[in-house]
Amino acid sequence: MSITDPVIHVRGLTKRYGETQAVAGIDFDVARGEVFGLLGPNGAGKTTTVEILEGLRRPDDGEVTVLGHDVSRGADALKARIGVSLQTAALYPKLTVTELIELFRSFYTHRRSTADLIEALGLGERRDAQSQVLSGGQRQRLAVALALVNDPELVFLDEPTTGLDPAARRSLWDLIRGLKADGRSVLLTTHYMEEAEVLCDRLAIMDHGRILEMGTVEELVSKRFRERAVRFDRLDGLSKAELAALPAVASVTEDGDEVLLYTNDVGPTIGALLALAESRGLEPRDLAIRRATLEDVFLDLTGRALRD
Amino acid sequence: MNALLALTGANIRSYVRDRAALFWTLAFPLIFIFMFGLIFQGGGPGRTTLGWVDQDGSTGATVLRETFATHETIALEDGDEGSALDRMRDGELDAVIVIPAGYGEAVAAAEAGSSGPANVVVYTDPSRTNLMASVYQVVGSVLGVVNLGGRPPLVVPQPETLQTENINFISYFVPSMLGLSVMQVGIFAAIPLVADREKLILKRLAATPLRRWQLVGSNVLMRLLIALVQSVVIVGVGVLIFGVEITGAWPLALLFVVLGAVAFLALGYVVASFAKTEDSANGMTSVIQFPMMFLSGTFFAIDQMPEPLQAVARVIPLTYLSDALRQVMVGGAAFAPLWVCFAVLAGWLVVCFGIAARTFRWQ
Repeated sequence: MSITDPVIHVRGLTKRYGETQAVAGIDFDVARGEVFGLLGPNGAGKTTTVEILEGLRRPDDGEVTVLGHDVSRGADALKARIGVSLQTAALYPKLTVTELIELFRSFYTHRRSTADLIEALGLGERRDAQSQVLSGGQRQRLAVALALVNDPELVFLDEPTTGLDPAARRSLWDLIRGLKADGRSVLLTTHYMEEAEVLCDRLAIMDHGRILEMGTVEELVSKRFRERAVRFDRLDGLSKAELAALPAVASVTEDGDEVLLYTNDVGPTIGALLALAESRGLEPRDLAIRRATLEDVFLDLTGRALRD
Repeated sequence: MNALLALTGANIRSYVRDRAALFWTLAFPLIFIFMFGLIFQGGGPGRTTLGWVDQDGSTGATVLRETFATHETIALEDGDEGSALDRMRDGELDAVIVIPAGYGEAVAAAEAGSSGPANVVVYTDPSRTNLMASVYQVVGSVLGVVNLGGRPPLVVPQPETLQTENINFISYFVPSMLGLSVMQVGIFAAIPLVADREKLILKRLAATPLRRWQLVGSNVLMRLLIALVQSVVIVGVGVLIFGVEITGAWPLALLFVVLGAVAFLALGYVVASFAKTEDSANGMTSVIQFPMMFLSGTFFAIDQMPEPLQAVARVIPLTYLSDALRQVMVGGAAFAPLWVCFAVLAGWLVVCFGIAARTFRWQ
């Protein structure tokens, strides 16, 4: 394979578990050096897709090539060249950070030094701590360290920041940006919009085993929304129909206590909104104008919010 | 090879750091050995049961009895000399003390300085050295109280020996306990295996170039090592503390320990094939190990069990492992010829391996 070939090439991939169609025919490519995201709610088929790419599951049908290896013909040679971090940090609880890294190093012929990895992942102070006493963020960093022991060209990270507090999440984001800076390709799954926006060069939005939309964050957002979003806390005195009738409003979405007006022209919409509210003796609270985000794209594509 | 050894090392580390696992593999069999050793051998730090034969009936003899009776580690059982010695022969009494007729007068004479000290006869079994030492220690401390201030001593023990028909239960018990421990080492492998699968550790390993035979191989190596450590500890305690004499051929005993460990490990993999969670693996190992423990002839003689239970005993592998170890190590009576023991264990190994190879799931 040449340097310009994609590191991951997927066409018509399907996988079924009994009655459930986990993956229903998806196509995508990941280019060398790219951070590619699979974004979707739990049960969308992200993990199944990733596990097929890692050689852990056999596809029912479709063409899947990873680093030039056809995964349906066995993935033994491939496994030496990829790095994997599963959905939960699968760590022997009673082994220390150093012991776990040493153990995983023994599985590979091409490998980085333990000291390097501990240094690079910021685990120096916990090198002799058993994995069961590490914090959630430290466990995830250790899981990523184990994914990097063989200095892989391609790294799979399945929901690397799920359940982490914001600080730990940000520190892991820095780490993933570092992987890209090192020239590695990364495939990551997430159900956090912000994470996808911050990290991914390109992403695919998945739901019910299908890819609904694919592209850069900018492409995904601008393709669907030329509008800006005007948001404010729900006002009981204003009906959805009244809001939709305001000038330049393209659509109205109510999500919980939040109202979103998608508008083609912010000025007239806001002016009319404030005038209408004032005439009822109301005042829109936490009024804000923003560009549409992935969250809006997902809401528009599936009719539900991703975080639910 | 490197990966195999590294994984074996990792398994051993995890094992040694798990207190519960250590308890079951080392402390549990040792507790059993000490418990039964002390019950059947007396002596040690527990109570010593002395037969008390008073042929004198004087006040002095009664006073001496009271002094013995108040000693906290002594239980006294009165009787005549013949029946007391019989009971000691049967192992019901640890030693017998006889107060000869004329004891009271002899003490009075010794007190007056007109003769030497009075005698009390102490029967012990010289082949049970620990017990003998502890009996003399107790007798010495009691007579020390009686003799206090008397110089020269008023009463001295007159040692007599009696060969008891101590069936040497402990010699039978130590190899049985070794068999039991080897069984546990094997079956209990199911629990960490299921736990590792639940924690996705097995799946994570499957995403590396590690081969499955290396994973299974590391488990076998680690369990064999534990079985060998157990053998050394259990047999060592039996020999050094309870004086068990190992008569048989070491290599043959080792062969059975290894075969037994591997056969029970295969059974452990079968359990891990059917158990979905760590808790259910725990339950299933208990369901398997307790009947085996009690029906394998270790605690109850197989030929005295009701027929349906005997049928079970004839099938379970532990019966044959313990039987073989007893035959080889201490020349115990055979339940089945050694080659039958070997064949039954090998049969269990093949069957369990076959089932596990078909049903075990890594993820």
